[in-house]
This record gives sequence, C-alpha cells and structure tokens, in this order.
Amino acid sequence: MVPSMSAFENTSANTEVEVFRRLYPLEFYDRLLDKSVRLDARSLRHFRDSTVAFGAVSSANGSALVKIGSTTMLAAIKMEIMTPSVEAPDEGNVAIEFHMPPICSPVVWPGRPVEAAPVISKQLTDTILRHVNPSEFLLADSYFLSFRVKYFVKCSGMIDLKELCLVSGKAAWMAYLDICCLDADGGLFDAALLSAAAAFSHLQIPVVSLNEEGRVFIVSEEEAGKSKKEAVNKEKRKLNLRSIPLSLTCILHKNYIIPDPTAEEESIIETSVTVVMDSSDQLVSLYKPGGQILAFSKAIQECVELTRQRVKELLRILEAAVSDMEVD
Amino acid sequence: MEFVSPEGLRLDGRRPLEMRQLRAEIGSISKADGSAVFEMGNTKVIAAVYGPREVENKSQQISDKALVRCEYTMANFSTGDRVRKPKGDRRSTEISMVIRQTMESCILLEKFPRSQIDIFVQVLQADGGTRSACINAATLALADAGIPMRDLVTSCSAGYLNSTPLLDLNYVEDSAGGPDVTVGLLPKMDKVTLLQTDVALPEILQMDSKLPIDIFENVMQLAIEGCKAVANYIREASKGVEFDQIFLTYIIPGSQHFKDFRK
Repeated sequence: MVPSMSAFENTSANTEVEVFRRLYPLEFYDRLLDKSVRLDARSLRHFRDSTVAFGAVSSANGSALVKIGSTTMLAAIKMEIMTPSVEAPDEGNVAIEFHMPPICSPVVWPGRPVEAAPVISKQLTDTILRHVNPSEFLLADSYFLSFRVKYFVKCSGMIDLKELCLVSGKAAWMAYLDICCLDADGGLFDAALLSAAAAFSHLQIPVVSLNEEGRVFIVSEEEAGKSKKEAVNKEKRKLNLRSIPLSLTCILHKNYIIPDPTAEEESIIETSVTVVMDSSDQLVSLYKPGGQILAFSKAIQECVELTRQRVKELLRILEAAVSDMEVD
Repeated sequence: MEFVSPEGLRLDGRRPLEMRQLRAEIGSISKADGSAVFEMGNTKVIAAVYGPREVENKSQQISDKALVRCEYTMANFSTGDRVRKPKGDRRSTEISMVIRQTMESCILLEKFPRSQIDIFVQVLQADGGTRSACINAATLALADAGIPMRDLVTSCSAGYLNSTPLLDLNYVEDSAGGPDVTVGLLPKMDKVTLLQTDVALPEILQMDSKLPIDIFENVMQLAIEGCKAVANYIREASKGVEFDQIFLTYIIPGSQHFKDFRK
C-alpha cells in the first residue's frame, strides 16, 4: 500500500517534533507552556488522577497500592513485638523505609544505588514521626519567607507512639513500613506519603496474648479461635490517626508554578518545592532544595494554596477508600 | 505431619494434581519496556524488562549478541517474617543466575549485538514457587517488550509428600523436606531448559530399599505437565490486543474433575 503524500509529510513532521523534543527539551517545554499545555497534554494546574487500593499484600498487617498518574507505590506494614527503650517505656516505634528497585525506572541500575531512596526515607520518617527542627529545612532564601507565611512547623503527629505500647516497659509494637516504588513517574515523595497514610489507615494490629512465662506473642489467625489464652488486645485493633500529612510537589520555571510533575518534567526543570500540610489545614513542612529559581514569598504562598487544594482532594479519595473497605 | 488427607485433599484444599489459581497482568509498569505481574495462588511477583539498550559496562559488551542481566529481589514484606536482606544474599544471587540462564536460552540474542537486556523481578508476596512465578512473569514481560524469543519459557514445581506426587507446592509443602523439582520448559519445542531439584530427607521418603529415581522421574513428568498448563494459560492471557486479567484454574487432565473459571 503506497502511503499518501500527506501521510508521508505528517510522519516526517512528527519525527522533527520528536527530535526537537529530545535535543532541546527546555525550549520544547517553553513552547508548550506558552500555549498553557504540559508535556503529557495536561493543563497547567491539573493534578493527575490518583487512586488508593487497600490490602494489596495479603501477608502484611496493613498495605496499600497507590497510583498518582503512572507513579505506583506499594506500601506494606509488618508488626513485630519488641522491648521498648528505657527512655520511652510506654512507646512503640515505627521504622519507615523507601525502596526503588530497578523495575521502577530505566535510570535505576542494580549495583548503583539511587540517591533519591534514602533521602525520601528520611523525609518520610521526619514527616510522620519526628519533631522537625525548622533550621533543617529553611535554606539561604529563608528571609523571604519570614513575614507573610504563617507556619507552625511541628511533628505532624499522625501516629501516637503510645498507642503502640502493649505492656509498659516489657512489650511494644515495632511497625516496619516498607514502601516499594513500582513505577517512578515523578512526584515520588507525594505518592510515598499518601501510600504511607493509606497503609496506616488499613493497618489491623494482630491479636496478642501472654504465654506461660508472661511474654507477649502474636496469636496467628488459626490459633485465635482454638486458643484458651485470653487475647490481650482484642478490642484495640486499629490505630487512631490524628492528622494525616499529605504533600504536593511543584516545579518552578520562569514565572510558572507547575504542580504534580511527571518524571520527564522533573528531569528538565531543576527547581522544585515540596509542601506538606496536614488534614487540619496546618503547614507541616516546606522543602526547597536549591535550584536556579529563587522563590519569593508570593510563589511560596501559591504553592501552599495549591497544596491545600490537593490535600483536600487526596483526603476525599482516602476517605472514600476507607469507607469502601469498611463496607466489605 | 499430614500433607495429604485420607480423602486426598492437601492443606489448602487442592487435589494432588491441581495447580493453584493463575493470574497474569501485562504492561503494569509504564516506565518499563515490558512488564508483567504473575500470581500463582498467593505467590505474587512483578517483572520488568528494560532493553535492548546500551551496555552499562563497556568492557562486558559482547560483539555478536546481547548481554542479559537479571536481578531477583524480594520485597521486605513478601514473607511471613520480614526479610532483612532483600538482595545480595546467596539465595537471591542463585535465583538471579538461574532466571538469567533460563531466559538466555530462549531469547534470540544474536539480533541485538553489543546491547543489554535487563530483566528485573521483584517478589511482592512469597508462598512457595517464587522461582517458577518469576520465570513465568519474565516470559510475559519479555513478550510485552517485543523481544523476539525462540519460544515461551514456562515453569512449575512439583514434589512428593505422604507418598503422593504433588503439583505446584506452596510454602508449607515446600519446606516439608520432601523432594521437589522445578522445571523450566519451552512448550512448543517440548524441551526442558531448567531442571532443579532438592534432595529429600530419607525420613520423609520413608523408604530405604527403593531408589528414589522412579519417584524423581514421576515428579519431573508431573512438573512438565504443569509447565504445559501454564503455557496454555499464558497463551490465553496474551490473546487479543487487550491484556485483561483472566482467572483460570487448571487441573492436569487425567485427574477426576476439571475446573475452569473465566472472568
């Protein structure tokens, strides 16, 4: 079949566009932005579709599969019994780790560890657990932020470690949260934080009882019915999540503030701002790791406003998924 | 311990010659050239293929064919007890090598000289037969990536407990100590490309005079039949443009009944 002339012209035009896109990605992006369109044909302020699915890993105590666009995160929590530390005898602990296996992206190679993975692990731990020290996050541009933006930088307080205590001084829960990135298409921290929140929402604390020596052990599902020993925590099976922190990453380019970037956009534009807010509309943290563009306070306010919208949307999705789960 | 009840049911209610439920999903990872999720009962693995692409380490480049690299990792949450070292331990390195050699035998490497084909497999849930699930997932991922192959490679395991040959062992049956055989088969050519066996403890076999070689051949043949059943399922799953999720349960013909659920 002989292709028509117009089809031939089209393919050569398409090839030219593809070549331009590869060779001069920044100029290509500029031209698209002038027409208010992004690389994946989204409009400038459009967030990607996000979904949350619970129970993806049946062998874990709590798990969630989260997708933001193509970015896919699988989070799973496994609980183990440990002896609490001497300084905090009635507190359990949570260990958060973020993995980027080679399946997730062509730029991840086995044997060459990705920088992003431990950085995101630490950011997640800081956001979900620890009290954040303001000076860690505010960089040299800090004096731009001081006046207009009202912020309370605090521990996000999603989990009360005291709820993870079983027997004060003797036994407490150690929750291992492992987040595995299955597909890395931008906005990794946002997706990871959402998957962590979702996994904790789904978490079912295992039933425990005491054995003869007074040691606490986990009762497995089959034994629970047959065992004569009283389960110590039969009523208390779910964690009480207070304020759920959720985030939005925006990239800054010239005068544009572009939320929820894909991997391609992140590779072209260096400057990004990540804002973490919690469900009670308070700012938890702000992260701007350098980059060419300096952010004036107005830009930061806009990022915070975009985050506020995004957090509302994500909370709605999360609540819908939780109520579906409870129906089952 | 009784692995096969007097009525002929296994611990999870299957018959001895019955496979676990298979499920495949192709194209799950947008960033990969080819990807697939494969489930055999509760064992769930995800495979991604990147390539053919430029060789990372030029010194390893082969001038007349492609270099295949494979990495097998287990997610921390995949097993009952949390896995401390997901890769780099001996078992993972061994399985990586086994999968690589199995896939190398069927890919037409001569078509891509001086390039590299990466196969990454991650176990999301482990309940026995992870090796087989990984090979099946890798086959589907390679097909999704459009890499030309001589034939599909399908894999299945079989064992022998309570004097009964059992098909497709789960974790409990696998750790029981009986002999188990994992077979990798090129179904159209009817050639065995992978054959791995674990020797049984004599107490489990409960025999001293009879040579286990008869049992071994029996079990190996059963595993080969299992591979053919997986191949049928994969062919069904890859038919048509849309790779939908299809649920099928196969029992080797010759046993009492045949169940077939399609969704």
